[in-house]
Amino acid sequence: MRRALLIAAFAALSLPAQAFAHATLERTSPSFEQRLSNSPRTVTLRFDQYIERLPYAIQLYSTHGELRVPRIRAQGRDLIASVPKLRRGAYTIRWHALSGDGHVVSGVFTFGVRAKAPAPTEAFGASGPTRTENVVRWLYFLSLALVVGGLGFRLLVARRRLPDRFFALTGIGVFATLNVGIAAFVLRAEDALQLPFGRLLYGDLSPIAHTRFGAAFTAMTLGFAAVGALVFLAWLTDRDVFLGPAFLIALGFVSGLSLSGHSAADAGASWKSELADWAHLSAACLWIGGLVQLVVVVWPLLPELRRPAMLAFSRLATVCVGVLLLAGVYLAILRLPQVSDLWTTGYGRILLVKVGLVALAFAWGGVHKLRAVPVVARDGTVRRLRASLAGESMVGMIVLLVAAFLVNAKPPT
Amino acid sequence: MQPPAEHVHWLFATGLLLLGLCLLAEAVVGTEVWRRRAWRAYLWPGLAFALGVFMWPVMTFYTNSTIHMLAHGAWAEVLMLAGAVELALVRGKLHHPAWRLAMASAFLVSGAAFLVHEQNAWLFQRSAFLHHLLGWTLVLAAVFPLVRSVRPRSQTAAAGFALTFVVLAVFLYCDRDVAPVFGHISPLAGPPHR
Repeated sequence: MRRALLIAAFAALSLPAQAFAHATLERTSPSFEQRLSNSPRTVTLRFDQYIERLPYAIQLYSTHGELRVPRIRAQGRDLIASVPKLRRGAYTIRWHALSGDGHVVSGVFTFGVRAKAPAPTEAFGASGPTRTENVVRWLYFLSLALVVGGLGFRLLVARRRLPDRFFALTGIGVFATLNVGIAAFVLRAEDALQLPFGRLLYGDLSPIAHTRFGAAFTAMTLGFAAVGALVFLAWLTDRDVFLGPAFLIALGFVSGLSLSGHSAADAGASWKSELADWAHLSAACLWIGGLVQLVVVVWPLLPELRRPAMLAFSRLATVCVGVLLLAGVYLAILRLPQVSDLWTTGYGRILLVKVGLVALAFAWGGVHKLRAVPVVARDGTVRRLRASLAGESMVGMIVLLVAAFLVNAKPPT
Repeated sequence: MQPPAEHVHWLFATGLLLLGLCLLAEAVVGTEVWRRRAWRAYLWPGLAFALGVFMWPVMTFYTNSTIHMLAHGAWAEVLMLAGAVELALVRGKLHHPAWRLAMASAFLVSGAAFLVHEQNAWLFQRSAFLHHLLGWTLVLAAVFPLVRSVRPRSQTAAAGFALTFVVLAVFLYCDRDVAPVFGHISPLAGPPHR
C-alpha cells in the first residue's frame, strides 16, 4: 500500500501541465510601444492562465492624466477594456490581475496613437531617476572601474602575475557589477510600475526588459557573469591567458551604458556620440581602477614593481586623460548647444561641478606626472606617494558620483 | 523566443542529477578511488559553477516577475560561489577550514530563496508544493555539507549530500506550476489549457 502510494505520488508529480507560478502576460493589443494609426476600440491583455478581474484592472492614462475606461471584463485568459476614442498622443496602460495562484500581478506598457510611444520607463506617473538611483548608478561606475581598470592595469601596466589581492579586488568588482545592475534595473522598474514594494515583487518587468535600458541590463549581466567566470578561472588555474578575453568582454560590455543612455536615446544621438560616451567611460574606468590597483596591490605588496608600474601607469593615465577630455568636450558640445546652458540649466550646473572636480583630479595627476614620476624614475620612491595616489583616486571616485547625477539628469537638447 | 519554463527546469534538473550522480559515485567507491583520475575531483564543483553561470540567462530573460528574477539571481550567485569555493579547495588555492562551510551556506540561502519566493500554502498547487518541498529539503539537507565540513570522511554525510542533489533533480523534473497536487487544483487556476 505504501509503495503504491509512493508510485501514485511520483506519477502525479510527473504529469505535465504548465509553467510559472503566477499569470504571465503573453501578449497585449496594442503591443508594447506600438504606434497606432487610429484609436483602438479595446485594450486586450492575454495571459498564460485564467485570471480574475480586480477593480481598476486596467487604467488608461494620456499625457494629461487618467481617462475613464467604461468597461473592463475578464474572459478566460483575456482581460479586455473598452476604451473611449483616443486623440493623437502617447498613452500609458497600468494593469492589475488576480493570478490563478492568488497573487496580484501588475504591469505597465505604453502605446501611441499617431504618435511615438514613450518607453515604459517614461510612462505617465513615472517620476524619473531618484536619489537612490543616482547612488546606485555611482556604485555601478565604481564597480565597473574596479573590473575594467583592474584588468587593464594587469594587462597594460603590470604585465606580470599579480598577487591574490588583485583577483579579490577584480572579483569584488564583478560581484558588485552584477548585483548593483540588478538593483538599478529593479529601481527603474519600480518607478515605471509605480507600485509599493510588496506589489512590485509580482510586477511584470518584461516591458522594461524590452527597452534599451533593459537590453543593456541583460547584455551587461551576461557579459559580466562571463567576465567573473574567466577571472576566477585565471586565478584557479594560474593561467593569465583568461584575463585577456575577460578584459575585452568587460570593455565591450561597458558600452551597454553608452548604448542605453543620453548618447543613444536623446535628440542628436548617433554612433559618434555612442562611441564618444563609451570611450569617455572606459578611459575613466581605466584611470580610476588602475589607481586603485596601484594603491591597494602594487604599493603594499610589490615594492619591486612600484617604479615600473608607476612609469607605465603614468603613460596610460596620460592617454586616458586625453581620451576623457576629447570625448567629454564633444559630448558637452552635443548636449549643451548654448554656452549659457552651462549656468542656466540643471544639467549644465551639474556639468560645471563635474568639470571643476575633473580639473582638480587632472591637476593632482599632473603633479604626480611632472614632479613624482621623475623622482620615482631616478630614486625608485617618493615619500607619501601612496597616500597622494589614494587622494587622486578618491577625487576620481567623487567625479564618478557627480557623473552618476549627470547621467540621470535630462540634458536641455 | 523563449523556451517554456519547464524545459529550463528540466535542463537544470539534468545538471543537478549529473552532479548528484558524481557525488554518489564518489561516496560509493570512496574519495581515494574516485580521485585516481585527477580531473574527477573537479567534476562536481565544476558542474556546480557552470550551472551558476548558466543560471544568469534564466534570470535576465525570464522577467515576468521581480521575485522570480531575484530568486534566480540568488541561485546563480550561490551556485557560482559555492562551486568556485569547492574548486579552489580541491585545487589547494583555499586552505582555511571555514571555506568548507560555503556549501552549507549555499544550501541555506537557496532554500530560503525557494521559501521566500513561494507565498502560497503547500497544497495550493503543484508549484507551491514543490517550492516548499525544495526549500525545506535544501534547508534541512544543509546538515550534510555541514557535517562534511567537520568530518570529511563521514560516509553518511557524503551519501546524504549526494542524494540531496538527486532528490532536488527529481523535484525539478516534476515542477509544473498550476498543475494539481495529488488531485487538488486551485479553483482560481481555471481548467488546464494545454
